[in-house]
Amino acid sequence: MPALFFEGALLGLSTGFYCLTACLPLLAPYLMAEGRALWKENVKILLQFLGGRLAAYLIFAVLASLAGQAGKYVMPGWLLPAATAACGLTMAALAVFRISAGPSACLLKADLNPFFKRLPLAIGFVTGINICPPFAAGLLRLLEIADVPRGVAYFTGFFCATSLFVSPVLLGTPWLGPRANDIGRLTLLLAGLWYAALGLTGLLTGQWA
Amino acid sequence: MKPLRVEREKILPAALFALLVLVPAFYFSGLIAGREISRYYALAWSLFAAAIAFAIAYTERVAFYRRIFFGVSALAFLFHFKTGLFVDTFEASCFKDTPFCHIAIAPAFLNYLYQQYLALMSPGWKLWGPLTLGAAWVFVTLALGRGWCAWACFYGGIDDALSARPGRPLLKLGWFERKFRDLPAALLVFLLLASFAYMLPVYCLWLCPFKLTGAFLDAEAPARKIQYALMGLAMTALVLGPLLTRKRIFCSYLCPFAAWQAFWGRLNPFRVTADAGKCTSCLVCVAACPMAAIRCAPGGQPEILAYCNLCGQCLDACPGGGFSYTVFGLELPARLSPFGRLLAVKYFYVFSALTLAAVFSALWGPAALRDLTLLVRGGQ
Repeated sequence: MPALFFEGALLGLSTGFYCLTACLPLLAPYLMAEGRALWKENVKILLQFLGGRLAAYLIFAVLASLAGQAGKYVMPGWLLPAATAACGLTMAALAVFRISAGPSACLLKADLNPFFKRLPLAIGFVTGINICPPFAAGLLRLLEIADVPRGVAYFTGFFCATSLFVSPVLLGTPWLGPRANDIGRLTLLLAGLWYAALGLTGLLTGQWA
Repeated sequence: MKPLRVEREKILPAALFALLVLVPAFYFSGLIAGREISRYYALAWSLFAAAIAFAIAYTERVAFYRRIFFGVSALAFLFHFKTGLFVDTFEASCFKDTPFCHIAIAPAFLNYLYQQYLALMSPGWKLWGPLTLGAAWVFVTLALGRGWCAWACFYGGIDDALSARPGRPLLKLGWFERKFRDLPAALLVFLLLASFAYMLPVYCLWLCPFKLTGAFLDAEAPARKIQYALMGLAMTALVLGPLLTRKRIFCSYLCPFAAWQAFWGRLNPFRVTADAGKCTSCLVCVAACPMAAIRCAPGGQPEILAYCNLCGQCLDACPGGGFSYTVFGLELPARLSPFGRLLAVKYFYVFSALTLAAVFSALWGPAALRDLTLLVRGGQ
């Protein structure tokens, strides 16, 4: 089991930069829009994001291991575009709500719907189910392993290693001020619209089929 | 119409100022353009810049003559470089090694590194790469700062010239102006992230209205259609925006480089400063600013935003003369003699901006003159 954990971690360490390119366009706008000049608040956001990713990885690990046992891979193809579209629309909705609420000083005091406060979880989940090349490599290995506990250990290692690449995003957040939040909200709107368009295009054109 | 009255005491100082611009402009333009075409074209381009300098020093109006230079420079760029995209006339261009647009190369990282490798291996400074382009940017930022967007940008002149056409705005931006003024900064952050994710020049592919061609758009038909549609929208913003609003809509709301330059431009010491004592809260400056960079602060005083590109429109517009060019907010002691007037911050700034813009535009201005000459003669 530890050997598989480290095997997954090595895969994550060697390909983590790729994960960063997939995660950053989703995570950074949210952090910029909703982050504060406080480590504690921003760490909470990052932990939620990582929690979403871990949940996605573990679900994937279980499904892929089960699929390996059955001799075939079963995963709903529409899940990624649907989740991407839903996440993008939620990001855009949050940004519109924040932008239309008024000047930034008042905005920071405005209470946020708890639904939106869990958005980093959804963002993490979307990046977690995104089948990038390193993820696909891990998936193939899981099909070969075809054992649920060992598959979970493998993907936990992969998650821990790739998280090392994502975590430095926190370093810039203690300097976030109201002005950066204002810019972040507009960035969140753009990113939300972009990912909603990507997800909806994927669903409508059936690229997952 | 007022009769033209020649103020003799202003002619010699203005001529001296024009000469101060002409000498470095011609020296460097000759070096740049003279490698490929006759230096007479570089001389003509430098004389044009010197004439602008003369007009500014003689009339003391910066914005009006700056706009003429800026607009002509951008037109020359479109004429020479962009038409080259269609008719393949890159032979006489400094950009002959550039496939479609030198800016598009920058975000295409691997291509960018390859260009730098070529630049280092053959002492070809004109090849674009991280070091050459980066060094040019640092120099421009230190010398011009945010003034890049008012004097030297080879695209901004189109937006700027068009924003001067309508007598009054047909469309007022209202709340949009306040809420979305940071859109270029947001676009910059988003596009950097998206370009990082896709390893592609996302802005150039999806938004840039200046590429004027679909030659390098996505090969996939549906994506290509959307890219064409977005390019059309950006073109509309570029052309119709200023005509309807008297604002540089594309530069103010859609150009990510404007946000980048607004951030780093503070390294440059030149500023436009408002004198609160002379302000009557008439808000003429807010309407006159083509970049939507002046806001009415509480108390009715003008607040100059970081997006100010020192174009000087507010200096011309303010009835009380409440705006001035300063160095970090400080003015030099006033001198009233004809030649002493040239020792004001305004002229140091204009000298710096105009000379650099004239030299930089020598990459395409003289070549555009040559193209025009050939066209008139019925040549190529």
